Amino acid sequence: MGVEVLALIYRNLRARPVRSILTLLGIVVSTASMVLFLSFGEGLRKALGAELSTVGPAVLVLPEGVEAFSPGYPELRPETVEALKKSASELGISQVIPYVVLTRGGLDPQSAFVFQGIPEGLSPKALYPNLTLAEGSLVPGPKGAVVGSRLAERNQLGLGKVLRLSPSISLRVEGILKPNGGLSDNIIYVPSSVVQEALGTRNYTAAAVGVREGFKADQVAEAIKARIAGVNAQTTGDVLRFAERAVRISDLVRFGISLVALVVGGLLVANTVMMSVYERIREFGLMRALGAKQGFIFGLVLLEALLLGVVGGLLGLVLGQAASGLVNWFTGREVGLALSAITFRLASFALLVAVVLGLLAGFLPARTASRLKVVEALGRL
Amino acid sequence: MLEAINLHKRYHQGEVDVVAVDRFSYRFPAGLTAIVGPSGSGKTTLLNLLAGFDVPSEGEVWLDNTPFSTLSEDARSELRLKHMGFVFQQWNLIPTLTALENVAFPMMLAGISLKERTTRAAALLEAVGLAGRAKHLPSRLSGGEQQRVAIARALALNPPILFADEPTGNLDSASGARVVELLMRQAQEGRTVILVTHDLELARQAQRILRLRDGRLIEIEEAPSDLPAVPTGR
Repeated sequence: MGVEVLALIYRNLRARPVRSILTLLGIVVSTASMVLFLSFGEGLRKALGAELSTVGPAVLVLPEGVEAFSPGYPELRPETVEALKKSASELGISQVIPYVVLTRGGLDPQSAFVFQGIPEGLSPKALYPNLTLAEGSLVPGPKGAVVGSRLAERNQLGLGKVLRLSPSISLRVEGILKPNGGLSDNIIYVPSSVVQEALGTRNYTAAAVGVREGFKADQVAEAIKARIAGVNAQTTGDVLRFAERAVRISDLVRFGISLVALVVGGLLVANTVMMSVYERIREFGLMRALGAKQGFIFGLVLLEALLLGVVGGLLGLVLGQAASGLVNWFTGREVGLALSAITFRLASFALLVAVVLGLLAGFLPARTASRLKVVEALGRL
Repeated sequence: MLEAINLHKRYHQGEVDVVAVDRFSYRFPAGLTAIVGPSGSGKTTLLNLLAGFDVPSEGEVWLDNTPFSTLSEDARSELRLKHMGFVFQQWNLIPTLTALENVAFPMMLAGISLKERTTRAAALLEAVGLAGRAKHLPSRLSGGEQQRVAIARALALNPPILFADEPTGNLDSASGARVVELLMRQAQEGRTVILVTHDLELARQAQRILRLRDGRLIEIEEAPSDLPAVPTGR
């Protein structure tokens, strides 16, 4: 492939700048939209992975029929928690931390308050070892609360400020955490008795269970399920697998949506290259007359489409990255989470799609150009 | 050596068969051969067949010892690249390549290195008096200059056969004369130059004139012996 070929491709695209730029924009936007759509899945994966890696205890014990990411009304009975504690040494359990979750203010992250009730006298670090204190105390007192950084910032909660959990229960902010970029930035840690009182129950949402040295998390989880009736025990790996399944399904849905944009982008390239082929029939005829083989013409046209695909894909990746940054800035401000992530594999996939798109879009025009009859192409009939 | 044996080309136009070339046989010797005839006499179709742009309905074109017209499209392209050069009346140059790149194009197809083809293309442009126009796109060259670039390109791979189809058709007389002079020089150097024209003045400068009418070769006119002798070999 000579510099003449590169010059041919480049100058041909430059000869019709508006059309080339519009086509390129089509690919850029379709690739960027695909990158952005798929980046949500990568963001979720990253957030979940980061979140679970900061979770201390390796096994989560939930009431049967409840999944880790859908805690409803607390259903884990105190007797069950006691049974867990009693069999601890036998089952390879190092610690049992029952907790109860209460959400106030609905689904809007701006106004939602997530209270996580933990055993009195315990630091939330027992659940999330990565937490660090910004000011005050890390262990909430009997009517105290330790607040995640994002939530504190959003609601201007300073030390000593009063939070109302229910009409009769008020809590004083005793500690504020440093941001760590995870879900725990949006949680208020309080004694579990307070949450149970507000909900009018003695039940827990779940219990985080630590695994003793020499035992494996999945064996412990199996042993718990076998020994304790009415519970489901999941390791962080199980939780991650469950989440991964859910994210993968949503990936497919999002890819399906972005496929429409991709098909439109591909048709744009095909249209541009096909028009360019029709406009350059004499040129191709001349090349053939001079001695170019059919494969040369095919490659030339295909390369032009491929170039549009690759350049459009690269620029689309840059635009997608910018859009992802914007989304993260927004979701970071609103819910304290980076929802979108462009990973290496997503970037590679997007480029691969752009290349395949270019090849598919160029195939038909390239075939048409390469099969032209020299006499017809040169207008020598 | 290029030879046409009993070449015949029929076209279907609706329900009518039109014969464009009718039983044409001729062995083209080295030197300048002009093919003349009125419009519609089959000159262009004959050139298409001789150059392998099209295939005959009957008969064959032989190139040296190869039945050229029976080969595949790609095989004909390859032989064209190595054995033939072309100068057309118009649409001669690739519009997005500079004069130098146009001349280098066949050399690129032949796999000659960038350095060598650039040097050769520059030398060829100098030989046709266009050294200063090497970096110009065809749109910035005059018609005569474009034809000279086409001649330089036709000579790029030093082919034994040169086809010129109405090469002076769109040129003023001074530019036309310069193009003819270049073509004559190639013939004198021992190439087989096949000139298709309806300009009898131009044809008279050839060593021999083939007259076509209704696709048939009706007359072969050899030039008087006082014209410059043409070497037999290359």
